Amino acid sequence: MNLNKVIWYKKYTPWLFILPTIFGLLIFRLIPIFAALVLSFTRWSLLGSPKWVGFANYLEAFTTKSFFEIIGNTFEFSLIYVFGSMILGLTLAVLVNVKIKGIGAFRAIIYLPVVTSAVAVGIVWNWILGPRFGILSVFLEKFMETAPYWLTDPTLALRSVAIVQVWKMSGYYMILFLAGLQSIPRDALEAATVDGANSIQKFFRVTLPMLSPTVFFVLTITIIDSFKNFELIYSMTKGGPQNASNTLVYDVYLNAFVHYRVGYAASVAYVLFVMVGVLTILNFQVRRRWAQPLN
Amino acid sequence: MKIIILTNGIKGEIMKKSLLLVVLLICIMFFAFAQGENEASNEAVTLEWWTWDADLKDINAKIISEFEAENPNVTINNTIISTTEYWTKIKIQSQQNKLPDVFCMSSGYLEEWSSLGLLYNLDPLMEGDTSLKNFYQTLLDGGKEIAGGEHYYAIPFALVTTPLFFNKDYFDAAGVEYPNSNWTWDDFTNAAKKLTVDNDGDGKTDQYGFWFYGRYAHIEPWVYANDGNLINRKTMRFEPDAKAIKALEMLVNMVKVDHSAPMPQEMSALRQQDVFPNGIAAMWVDGSWNIDNNRLTADPSMRWGIAMVPKGPDTQEPKVHGWSDFYAIAKNTKNPEMAWKFAKYVAGEGLTMDNYLAGKIPTYIPLTESEAFSDTSKQPDEISVLKDQAASPMRTSFTKGWSEWRGYGAAESLGFNGYVDAVLNGTKTFEEALEESPEVLDKVFVRYYN
Repeated sequence: MNLNKVIWYKKYTPWLFILPTIFGLLIFRLIPIFAALVLSFTRWSLLGSPKWVGFANYLEAFTTKSFFEIIGNTFEFSLIYVFGSMILGLTLAVLVNVKIKGIGAFRAIIYLPVVTSAVAVGIVWNWILGPRFGILSVFLEKFMETAPYWLTDPTLALRSVAIVQVWKMSGYYMILFLAGLQSIPRDALEAATVDGANSIQKFFRVTLPMLSPTVFFVLTITIIDSFKNFELIYSMTKGGPQNASNTLVYDVYLNAFVHYRVGYAASVAYVLFVMVGVLTILNFQVRRRWAQPLN
Repeated sequence: MKIIILTNGIKGEIMKKSLLLVVLLICIMFFAFAQGENEASNEAVTLEWWTWDADLKDINAKIISEFEAENPNVTINNTIISTTEYWTKIKIQSQQNKLPDVFCMSSGYLEEWSSLGLLYNLDPLMEGDTSLKNFYQTLLDGGKEIAGGEHYYAIPFALVTTPLFFNKDYFDAAGVEYPNSNWTWDDFTNAAKKLTVDNDGDGKTDQYGFWFYGRYAHIEPWVYANDGNLINRKTMRFEPDAKAIKALEMLVNMVKVDHSAPMPQEMSALRQQDVFPNGIAAMWVDGSWNIDNNRLTADPSMRWGIAMVPKGPDTQEPKVHGWSDFYAIAKNTKNPEMAWKFAKYVAGEGLTMDNYLAGKIPTYIPLTESEAFSDTSKQPDEISVLKDQAASPMRTSFTKGWSEWRGYGAAESLGFNGYVDAVLNGTKTFEEALEESPEVLDKVFVRYYN
């Protein structure tokens, strides 16, 4: 169809359609992102005017011991989350990639935690993991004198929250992997069967290589998602004990909305922004190198 | 001479006429002014009123309709924002120069807001205002003290203190005398030991004598009961004095030595305010507003009471840990007189006990002295303890940056709270915490006070 023949069509017409999105992006995303960058060079408590302090906020962050602990926690959480979610998500996807009666219900049940409020999940897991009355502790204390303090032991708190986050979100990645698995041509698998490959060989030699674009897509989004861990930390440990489960996102929240150190919070947010940016670029480089679609 | 006399006569005549003229002018000016004032007082006035308790929506509407009936030219708009968002939103209002005329102000923020010149100086409005005799002067002065000690910037409407809650059933079962005003810390710790019970003999404590963790309302009452201080108010640094350290030692020993109080991590699955009403601990110190929570949470058959926090061993002048909630007036209000009239109304005359969560103490004396406050049909029987606390010298740890150095709310695992919990949970020694904490916490003080 020749667009110029449409009576109402003008050259600027497409722009009119995308203008609301551009305005939305500018007002709610790009301008705040730029404003946050400017704010990161100021000291501001929301009261009075921001005071320009140059790189003082960044300097404070990188000369404070606890900030490095928080960065370390962020990476540890990220590692557990990325590998945990991918392995569990893929395993679940392989398990539910069958045509049996009622499989839809299984998929829905596994997906349920994804759509459940993170705060509600946090509260329920708090009860499960809680000492004295927590169902897991009551069970474990049949075999040991005292169950671990999952959420208050400095060595366990972050890992416990990360595992709960893996449990909550794996259903989402399962759906992505499932879509990838179902797009693998069946003749490739059948050919492997004819060649005498067993299930494990088929999975590692055929399924997984053909799934690599999905794997890298999921890897990218799990890395980005792994930094979005505010709700569970807020509802389960509040960053404690003593920063043991504090991550950059939670630290941004604490500084911005509890301590009202808006400038410092913006500088921490930018550190996080740079980290996520670098990891995403690296990921895309790796993807270009290794994850070419096999078909 | 004549001339002189004549002159004097003419002068006298002129003087008389001038005097008459002046009197006439004064009269005209007086009536004109009076008329103007009358017109001004009838001018339509709209006041914005921000509060933080959503449960009081209907009660606030009633207060407004009563005030508007008494002041027909006034319209009050009430905006209620829950405490979790109140400070962020009101700070944004301030940033836009749109502060409400009258708004709730916390003891924790009064110093910062007044020092930034955001609040109306109430001194000229309060001067000669006889209606203020109905408010506890100590509480009015308490607000002045927090705000730097020079001017009044806020009028208190509710006081909270930190009493000792105790379970009468457990005391009776253990044959321990109820806490009284003569109790020493030894009486308290001995009672806690006797009240710590392993009911089923499995080697695990089922009932603790006392419950606390690093929370401000759990620690400060003991520090102040010994007349101690966590911070040096002269240098504005974190510097617990010897009396404060003694209070901390006493508390830590209850967990580490006597085992009459649990490690905080033992109770981490419970809301901290539910430990006592659920019968897990026989005693507890926290804010008086927990009277309401106890009434709602505890089994109706559980008998419980309140008492003063026992006086420390190092003082004859213990202080009570208590603080007020206030109403402040925006510096840029266009109607300061009417805003003041309304602030006084909503801090006192316009209120009933329905405005107060059980355990909050009205700062308006007629209300505190009313039968409604001393309602003996509900627990605790010893509600008058709150009045005793209200009449005592008070202290708080509020400073600028308080939530950060103290560790409060979403940051309660950090700051001083985090250090206390680390000691109680056994991840740091008492000495380590005392040595490390000033360096970390003083960074906050340096930022605000240097």
